[in-house]
Amino acid sequence: MEMKRENHKGKALNLLRSRVCDPKFAFKALYNSPESNYSKLKFMISSSVTEACNNSILLLGPRGSGKISVLELVIRDLLDEYPDSISVIRLSGLLHGDDISAFKEIARQLCMEHQLLFSKSASFDDNSQFMVAMLKECGLAHKTVIFVLDEFDLFAQGKQRLLYSLLDAMQSVTSQAVVVGISCRLDADQLLEKRVRSRFSHRKLLFMPPSMEDSQSLLVHMLTIPVDSSFPRDYAIEFNRKVQNIVEDKRFKETFSNYLNFDSSVKHLLKFLFCAISHMDLKTGFLSLENFKTAFSSINRQPKLECLRNSSILELYILVCMKRLEVKEKSFCNFNSVMKEYKSIHDSFQTSDYYDRNVCLRAFEHLINRELICFADNRGHSLSVEYRPVKLLISSAELNQGLRAYHSCPAILQKLMDREG
Amino acid sequence: MNSEEAAQIPRRTTRSLASSSASTSNNASSAKVNSLEPLTVNDLLVGGDPISLDELFSNFPGRSSQILEIVSLLGPLNTPMLPLFVYGGASTGKTSIILQLFRHLNRPLVYSSCRTCYNQRILFESILNQLHLHRKSSANGYSNAKRCERPSDFINFLKEALTDAINNLKEKSEKLISGKTMAQGGIGNMIYLVFDNFQLVREWDKSSTLLPFLFNLYDLLKIPEVGLIFISNTSPDTFYSSNMGYVEPIPVYFPDYTDADLRKILSRNQADSKLYSSFLDVALRSFFRVTRQVDELSTAFKPLYEKYCEPLRDKRVFPNGDKDKDMKRKLFSHINPHITSSLNEIFKVSSHPSAEVENSKEANLKVNQRKLERREEIAKLDFHMSTSAKYLLISAFLASRNPATLDASLFDSKGGSDNRKRKRKPSEKVPERKESLEEELLMKGPGSFPLERLLAIFQCIVSVAEDSSDEDKQSGELMSDVLLQLSSLCNAKFIFKGRSCPIEGSVRYRSTVSEDLALKVARSLKFPLSSYLYKRT
Repeated sequence: MEMKRENHKGKALNLLRSRVCDPKFAFKALYNSPESNYSKLKFMISSSVTEACNNSILLLGPRGSGKISVLELVIRDLLDEYPDSISVIRLSGLLHGDDISAFKEIARQLCMEHQLLFSKSASFDDNSQFMVAMLKECGLAHKTVIFVLDEFDLFAQGKQRLLYSLLDAMQSVTSQAVVVGISCRLDADQLLEKRVRSRFSHRKLLFMPPSMEDSQSLLVHMLTIPVDSSFPRDYAIEFNRKVQNIVEDKRFKETFSNYLNFDSSVKHLLKFLFCAISHMDLKTGFLSLENFKTAFSSINRQPKLECLRNSSILELYILVCMKRLEVKEKSFCNFNSVMKEYKSIHDSFQTSDYYDRNVCLRAFEHLINRELICFADNRGHSLSVEYRPVKLLISSAELNQGLRAYHSCPAILQKLMDREG
Repeated sequence: MNSEEAAQIPRRTTRSLASSSASTSNNASSAKVNSLEPLTVNDLLVGGDPISLDELFSNFPGRSSQILEIVSLLGPLNTPMLPLFVYGGASTGKTSIILQLFRHLNRPLVYSSCRTCYNQRILFESILNQLHLHRKSSANGYSNAKRCERPSDFINFLKEALTDAINNLKEKSEKLISGKTMAQGGIGNMIYLVFDNFQLVREWDKSSTLLPFLFNLYDLLKIPEVGLIFISNTSPDTFYSSNMGYVEPIPVYFPDYTDADLRKILSRNQADSKLYSSFLDVALRSFFRVTRQVDELSTAFKPLYEKYCEPLRDKRVFPNGDKDKDMKRKLFSHINPHITSSLNEIFKVSSHPSAEVENSKEANLKVNQRKLERREEIAKLDFHMSTSAKYLLISAFLASRNPATLDASLFDSKGGSDNRKRKRKPSEKVPERKESLEEELLMKGPGSFPLERLLAIFQCIVSVAEDSSDEDKQSGELMSDVLLQLSSLCNAKFIFKGRSCPIEGSVRYRSTVSEDLALKVARSLKFPLSSYLYKRT
């Protein structure tokens, strides 16, 4: 019995994790209303399929707002409805940004779809002609080809030959295709050349991150486990009740709004949920407020301050020296000038931390590795580290905060910083 | 880690070797390598004996919270996960903990380090080789499983390979279940891709598309059975520079060790833990102010500890046990003067090849008076160079340090003392200008010079040297093969050869040698270098 109980907890955890890792689950819940982008997009594409016409649509919105997931949902539904009259070609600007590989990939996917033999050595022209011919054939067979162009803005770099030949082929009566561009640049259509833009129908769907209330109800939806035969009834009810309690807790609301304040996209929310779920205690088998707090603190990091906390005292000295040089508005700063400053601090305050040049150079290199400082230019590889100009990558406020948080920071450093402050 | 265990644990290098050359690094596998059996899915496991979570905690002091965090993020067997981004400073145990954790979990992983796979193609091919369970051998002409250069090809190959591998795993786990073994004994059907040293990718060609591609890999693949783990030295915010965005992976942070952690780590493997901890009481506090990296500290402490123990070994003045405090005090007074001096040498050690260090350390132990020894050290060069190369090095150094306008006055064909006087005159007259010049030198580093100037100076100093030494060498012997010597000095990075200057059209050179080294070389030739240096007064 005990063993079985443990099993349920593991199963619940597994269910929640799979939900979070599959963005479609979240977006399906989010876009259920008839007003939503999901229904609009579905209407647009399905009408092009049924009416056998050409269409082009842009899906715009910030990263992680579910453009691709919603499109995938729509395509899945349409494939169920019209299994024989749709084929989907998926491209990503990250992978097929150049025309050659784009046409090659289109040809490959068309061949896969229609059980044709794909030739790896086919030339650019072969592939583009093949695509046009295939579009024609598909049009004659009343089959709609849906082109999904992820990272659409990247296709607009260069000569835009792919977009042109795609949209140009769609001008003919026989073809039957839908081009769906997906981009997080809201000005993506402005990037198009004139000849391409004039062939593009300017349908745009804007994806906005959900409101606070929507996010919260999404969270509840994601974390609620079904009360049916898959879990013991009392466990499921108790689990859902606890989730509800957490959500209504004032402290949770505070954490949650803090978290969403700087990025309220769904993907960002999912990340938070994933962390919280991962920290679920399998002994009790319930989520707790503590899980969400841990998740919040482990995602919300302050890398620069962490770096400062990791630095040794000598490294802090070097940072403070550099900051002083920066305040003095020395336009040019390298290891030698830092050492000069370091020496002058030592001369005037007689600090106990005065080390050899070699040692300081190593500490300086550590700072470069930590990326608290970096070389000011990429030129000058001919010079050794001591001479290359460097700049600080940390603000004085951060440095001040870091010094104050450092548990054994020498008082002199804070004094020096305050004087500059 | 105690030594026995360390032998069994596949180290980072062996692990990456294991994936390409397929030697699982436990003892039984040595025979396997020779017979070259075809690889199985089991070769994607880390290998070695199973290790418990408690052992992991004790092997990695101060890391238990990180280990637990990663365990919970990876989740139980067969659960999907979002990509992780493990980051933290050098030598904080990121890679070894991930690898040991997978040994504990007994799940398949594909490990590739972006340091050994130093460009896009090699990285792609290494991942595909591992997934295809492909081993380079003479039979296949040491070729890769797939030739793959572009991300667009890679993603197709990867999808294919992953689906195959995952189906393979699923079959296996079904067999296990039908064979009525415990489900927990299986290796599951997740495959984890680990990208180590991920920060290096930023410097690769095409990194502006490769980075977002790799960060978006999980979304592009759409295979829930894949886990991605990125390991990086630098924090996530240092990856922002590319203008392409991506949804950030989940950060897992490894902070540097605190001094308490460092004590625990350093006193592992010590025969006399009590003695070592009293040594750490003395040494760690001051070293901790300089560096907090375990690797640097342990190399610095090794010779120092030997020194610390010296009075114990040599004199046998301490009877066992009783006068504990007294002994500590004596040892402290013995070691204390060494600490400050070795503090300033802390990083010298690690920059030398280890064998050489050992030798010089042995030499150090024999000679006790440090000052004397140091002078000796300066006098001798630790590498061999031909005489003409030495002269060439010095002339390059001079050409980089001295302003070209002073060459005529410094290297009069007669050489000797009178031009030294001439040289001093301007520097005494305008000390402010000289100071600003010196400052400029400090800032800008060594100057560059054309080949002609180098050769002219070289000729001058060689002739001076030959005149003064009066040895009956044939003149011109030193002048032969100068260009050859120059090119080998360039290859050894003593002299930097720049690209040709667009205006003058000639190649410019720059000396990269520090003043100390130049002085050493000059001393070995008995050449009065300082009298030719402009900034010296």
